[in-house]
Parts: sequence; structure tokens; C-alpha cells
Amino acid sequence: MRFEEELVALLPRLRRFARGLTRHASDADDLCQAAIERALKSRDQWQQGTRLDSWMYRITRNLWIDERRAAGRRGPHQSIDGDVVQIAGDGIAEVEAGALCGDVDGAMARLPDEQREVVMLVLVEGYAYREAADILEVPIGTVTSRLARGRETLIHHLGEAA
Amino acid sequence: MSFDPDIVAAFVDGELDDLTFRRVEREAAGDAALAAEIARLRALRTQLTAHYAPVAEEAVPERLSALLVMDDKVDTSLNGRRAARRSRLEPMHWGALAASLVLGLTIGLQPWAPTADVTSENGVLVASGPLADALDTRLASNQPADAAVRIGLSFRDNAGRYCRSFESGAIDGIGCRAGGGWQLERTRRGQARGDYRQAASGELAAMAADMMAGEPLDADAERAARDGGWAARQAQ
Repeated sequence: MRFEEELVALLPRLRRFARGLTRHASDADDLCQAAIERALKSRDQWQQGTRLDSWMYRITRNLWIDERRAAGRRGPHQSIDGDVVQIAGDGIAEVEAGALCGDVDGAMARLPDEQREVVMLVLVEGYAYREAADILEVPIGTVTSRLARGRETLIHHLGEAA
Repeated sequence: MSFDPDIVAAFVDGELDDLTFRRVEREAAGDAALAAEIARLRALRTQLTAHYAPVAEEAVPERLSALLVMDDKVDTSLNGRRAARRSRLEPMHWGALAASLVLGLTIGLQPWAPTADVTSENGVLVASGPLADALDTRLASNQPADAAVRIGLSFRDNAGRYCRSFESGAIDGIGCRAGGGWQLERTRRGQARGDYRQAASGELAAMAADMMAGEPLDADAERAARDGGWAARQAQ
């Protein structure tokens, strides 16, 4: 299959991943667009026979990180890592345990970026820990610890009856 | 609960080797706390998956798929969508060109031929002869390389009619199913030769993209539409 055809086949999943990262439909498609443009420009760097999906997810994720960093320089800074729950600008203060019962978007919004991306890759996109670690270019232990923290935060916000 | 939380998570995530997986499974059968923890993690997975699944079911916006259109394929319209916006062609221009094509075909080129590819009925251009036959029967996914008429895209327009783009030696265009025939909604002088072919396909695809409601028909949908006689359906 040709490069473009494979990318086209990937687009529905990639949009889902981008939606999870950005949490907004139009931001997600902007991100996908940037990722596709980057992929087309850098197609020589993709090695035939290796997984195009992982490569594409990595591009998408890295562009999102760049975007977030740039936004961070422009405006209020968000947490980078750790246990601090990120508050990302939508109706934050009233959040208590279980208050977001059923509101997955709201709960995801409260994860730091680095937990949200792991949650998306493993729990939504179905990647193995090893594959997620490759996409994110971090050790596998980092994936599992971020995943564990992300999970607990989500379950906390979504309510135990999630 | 007798297992490390990481093991339980790995169990739910399908990351354990068979042996450990079976141990956890066995243990959970008699350990309510472990079973509850597994259920809790699974419920989150299920909830997240269900929440995001509809995104992957949505039609991909054309601004994304347009970036990935292959230039050498006729049946991918999206390339042209942006080009079409850059240089939208005036309807009058095409109408005049179409009219001159009809004259050329019916008067000038092959006056002896029993049927031309294009005729005019009550001032409306319609396909006839081999062009009408090709639009009626030919599938884009299954056409001879040297076909005189090549079908490009099949799609529905905003009125719910089936439309098909085509290229042939003398004329390229888009025909839409109406009144048992094919009204030629767009026509242009044929470019089915050499270097111009690709550019022409792109322009044609752009015109198709402008008329299209939703996405082009895939091979199965095209076949189903043909087998159904191209009967129009109410636009969604």
C-alpha cells in the first residue's frame, strides 16, 4: 500500500487520538493537519516496513507538545509532570470526587498532558505498554507509572461507579 | 488483595504472560477485593473506549483527506477541492464551452456517426451513445485500461442524485442522473492525453468535490447504485 493510502486509512484513529490530546474537535483536526503536513514533508524519514501508525502518532504527539509549550510561554503555565492535577480552563473550581460522574471530557481535562497521552495510547488506542513507550520515547516504567496515576485520577473524578 | 497494583493493571491491559495471567485469573475467582479492582479498571477502559469511539466513526473532514490525495489516481477527488477554491470556474464559462462542444460533436466532427456522446434535450445537455452507456454500466473499480470513456468518481449531489465524473477523448465532465438519463452538469474539452491528463483529472475531481454531498461512493456503493439503476434518493 502506498504511503498516502496508509495515512488515509489511519486518519480516523489519528483524529480520535488528537481529540483526546486536545479535547476539542477543531483543535484536534488542526493538529492532525499539521501532523499530516509534517509526515508528508518528512516521509523520507519513515522506513518502509516499520509501523507507520507509531510514527504518525509520535509526530502528532510531538507537535502537540510543541504547541503546548508555545502556549505555555504565551500564557499561564501548566504543570509538566507529577501528581498535580492540571486545570485546563473549563469550570474547574467546583470539581470534587465524583462530581464529573460520566463526564469523560471533563475528567480527561484534569489530567496532566503526559498522563492523558498515555491514557489515550493504552486505554483508548489499545497500544501495548512497549508500543506506547516507543511512541512517546520514554522508558516503559514511565508509561506504567503515568498510566497508573492517570487511571486513579480518572476513576476519582468519574466516580467509583464509572 | 494479593497482587501488586501494577500486576492487576497489566492483567486488565493484556500485558501479562500466560502463566501470570492465569494466576491472577484464578486468584480473582476467590478474592472479592481483587475481582472488584479488576472490574473497576475494566470499567474505566470500557468507558473511555466507548467515549472516544464515535470520533473514529466520523467522516474524516476533507481538509485532512485532501492533503493525502494521490495525483495519479482519477478516483480521488479531494486533491482538487483546494484547487477548486483557488480558481473557481465561472458557470457561464463552462456553459459556453459545453454548448460549443455539442455543436462540434453534432455538426463538425462526426456527422456520419449514428450517435454523438452528447445531445441537447430542451436546452439541457445529456449524455448519449457510448458515453451514456458507460455512465449507466461501467464501474470505476473495474474498467479496461484503454476504455474510450473512463469513469472517475461517483457520488451524490446535494439533491440526492447520483453523479459521475468521466473522461473521454473528446469531452470530460460530470453527469448526474435525471429523468432516466445523464444530465451533463459540467463539461470540458477532453484532455485524455499525455501530460495534461493528470492536471485535467485533478480539475475534474475538484469540480466533483464542489458538487458532492458527503464522500464519493466506494466500490461497493458504486456497484449497488448501478445495480439499483442509479435511482435518486432524498438527500440526507
